[in-house]
Amino acid sequence: MKRSFSDRAVNAAAYIFIGLFALICFYPLLLTVSVSLSSESEIIQNGYSVLPQKFTFDTYQYIFAHSGDRILRSYGVTIFVTVVGTVASLFVTSMMSYALSIRRLKYRNAIAFICNFTIIFSAGLIPWYIVCVNYYGLKDSIWSLILPSMFSVWNMFLMRTYFDGIPISLYEAARIDGANYFRIFWQIAIPLSKTALLTVGLMYALQYWNDWWNALIFIKEKDNFPLQYYLYTILSNINAIRSGRVPAGATGVKLPAETVKMAVTVITIGPIIFLYPFAQKYFVSGIMTGAVKG
Amino acid sequence: MKRKAKEERRNDFMREWQEHKILYLMCVPGLILLLMFCYVPFTGIWMAFTDFNVVDGIFGSPFVALKNFEYFFTGGVGPKIIYNTLYINIFGLILGLIFPVSLAICLNEIKGKAFKKFTQSMMFFPYFLSWVVIGAIIYGFFSTDIGVVNHVLKSLGIDAVQWYSEPKYWKAILIFANVWKWSGYNSIIYLAAMSNFDASLYEAAEVDGANRFQQITRITLPLLKPTAIVLTLMSIGRIFYGDFGMVYGIVGNNPVLSDAVSVIDTYVYSAMRTLGFSYSTAVGLMQSIMGLILVTLSNKFAKKINEGEGLF
Repeated sequence: MKRSFSDRAVNAAAYIFIGLFALICFYPLLLTVSVSLSSESEIIQNGYSVLPQKFTFDTYQYIFAHSGDRILRSYGVTIFVTVVGTVASLFVTSMMSYALSIRRLKYRNAIAFICNFTIIFSAGLIPWYIVCVNYYGLKDSIWSLILPSMFSVWNMFLMRTYFDGIPISLYEAARIDGANYFRIFWQIAIPLSKTALLTVGLMYALQYWNDWWNALIFIKEKDNFPLQYYLYTILSNINAIRSGRVPAGATGVKLPAETVKMAVTVITIGPIIFLYPFAQKYFVSGIMTGAVKG
Repeated sequence: MKRKAKEERRNDFMREWQEHKILYLMCVPGLILLLMFCYVPFTGIWMAFTDFNVVDGIFGSPFVALKNFEYFFTGGVGPKIIYNTLYINIFGLILGLIFPVSLAICLNEIKGKAFKKFTQSMMFFPYFLSWVVIGAIIYGFFSTDIGVVNHVLKSLGIDAVQWYSEPKYWKAILIFANVWKWSGYNSIIYLAAMSNFDASLYEAAEVDGANRFQQITRITLPLLKPTAIVLTLMSIGRIFYGDFGMVYGIVGNNPVLSDAVSVIDTYVYSAMRTLGFSYSTAVGLMQSIMGLILVTLSNKFAKKINEGEGLF
């Protein structure tokens, strides 16, 4: 069938719009990587560019020689928080969403309400902070990076949607054979929900990896800085110097070079870039499952 | 009679507990976390009505009724902070509707599988970056001496702008950064909705001689309306909540710019250190109450148009 002029125009417009927007989304990343691989003097002279100027690994070498310990330490903190946090979160979340997916559970709506209420009303930052610091002693503790974000009500309901899809007859058969609910969870529901676990697990992992808010609030000790917060302190030092509040050199805060800043950024998002091709489809599946539901 | 009914209810409860004990126990870890980090903090709300000091504690500090709330409005800062929050959120909401819907419609028009997959991956990527990383990228664009934007301006013969000391640009920069981060993500939601559309509608339209553009405006857009309304209602429910991470990750505590972009959330954080716990609790509480009202209203509205299905 021959397509009309207007149809072809619509098609061309779609290609152009999508192409442009995709470029806008990706261009900054290219820029960041390229600058981190450029030589500092060229950047100062010519500004940022998509292709590395005088390609060199000097910046990375410099970083690991001068602040390697700091960065490695922060990397360690971030990895610990991400791994431990994700595993614990998955455990807590999947147990609850499984329980709430069992229709026979009489008080499941009451429990769901207790969860939902926390979405629509919160006490606010200050009471939360006071309670965390004064009652739970989370100040400067590495657990302050894990515990407050360990259970996400959104992820719990997302996971319940997956569990809802498992036919009850599978559970009933196991019940008749005398298996208790936890065994059914562990031996039937979990193995059948690998996609769900991976999806929700990756969502938690991204959240822990990208978190700097908890560190900003709770962590003062440099040894406990996660990577994102380390990057944040570098940037805010630059900001302070640039805005004239802190004179350069007066406080011993050295203005890091452009290439160093971008290299630290690349180091921070490295694993995300690395895992992205693999992880992307699970996030899409998660978003679609959540979207179809509500 | 009454006692019997009560006993029966207790028996029901005991039987339910006996039968499903394990399931309830499986909910306990999650419930404990909610209790610790969502419900126990409710006790701290009392601070908003007191003049809190550490020695007397939350409940021992002197009661001052609504003085903290009054100060928010009479102190001169309140209206401006609310204005900033609403300004950034309303423009974000409008652009956050236009861009993802357009992207989803255009992606749907593209037949080349590889191109579609590749561009979609690129558009989804910003969602994976933290605001700190985005802040670093934005610095690369707007820094005065070597930033990309000034470089382009110079090559066009226009004078360079000292972006980081010009507050007037930053609301717009934040709004676009937000669109940049979320458009790919939200377009997936619209694509998911579109994949459920009845293909026979389009076939019938084609038989009747409708071109693609007409099919988009007459079929796709009307069918997308419920999804768009639900997502918009969700944003309206959160319109008094600023994105702390976005503002702080991009602008930080730069005093020159913070006046123009500080939102309720960042204000609460900085007020905690300068104006004390009681006052900032009061500001946070006002925000929560406004949020509660708006979320409840928009949920009611969503139920009406969405066949009884609310937002949560």
